[in-house]
Amino acid sequence: MAHDEELDLVISRLLRAPRSLVWKAWTDPAHLKQWWCPKPWTTEVLGFDLVPGGSFHTLMRGPGGETSDNPGTFLEIVPRSRIVWTTALVANWRPAAEPWMPITAFITLEDEGAGTRYRATVLHKDKATRGSHEQMGFFDGWGTCIDQLEAYAGALR
Amino acid sequence: MANYSFPLDPVFLALSDPTRRAIVSRLARGRASVKELAAPIAMALPSVLKHLRVLERGGLIRSQKIGRTRLCELEPAALRTAEAWMVQQRAMWEAHADRLEAYVEALHAQEQADGP
Repeated sequence: MAHDEELDLVISRLLRAPRSLVWKAWTDPAHLKQWWCPKPWTTEVLGFDLVPGGSFHTLMRGPGGETSDNPGTFLEIVPRSRIVWTTALVANWRPAAEPWMPITAFITLEDEGAGTRYRATVLHKDKATRGSHEQMGFFDGWGTCIDQLEAYAGALR
Repeated sequence: MANYSFPLDPVFLALSDPTRRAIVSRLARGRASVKELAAPIAMALPSVLKHLRVLERGGLIRSQKIGRTRLCELEPAALRTAEAWMVQQRAMWEAHADRLEAYVEALHAQEQADGP
């Protein structure tokens, strides 16, 4: 996969769990909604059809009634190894109406020792040409989720 | 825990820690006192101050003492740059991976405890 260092992100983690379990946590909506977005935000999985062209649609709700709606579609599924999805298209390859920030994300899982190497590669269309107002809008939608991260992870451990 | 394939310049170093990422995203919603920042973290104040210093060195936040309260806010200049946009994206995706990590490891530990 070709990378553009200016536009792409690569996130890597060695997870202390077998690959089959990581796959399950990612591809079973009942599990996905538990970690996709931390408390007190909640994730509603409105569409999860794990085939190319299938819907991948999450709706996040904040404690103050804020929402972040993220319709998208799966592009490629290789069981237990690879998930590719985008928010530039929605189910059945229909171009998304107004993707707020279109991305294509590659998730790969590989065995590593007794655990799993998890990689997320996220492709962006362009660098932020947006003003600070929109940046704050971004934070309202996503940043608040991150805010709760540590408490959530701490409670699980 | 974390494994980064990005160069660890001061900005990325500042965001290489989940606590600091939580602080940054809290400040994205508006300025806050050190006490307010420390509350959800469950961490001793000196440790929080240490994290804040790393963030200040990375140019991501600035702080100002008003009376007995130290107020922190995001550095607006840093927020305006395209690099900052990528920093935000990175923080978001790192946090996403953090959550998956915590979740699957807890799930695995539970399955181990429950036996086959």
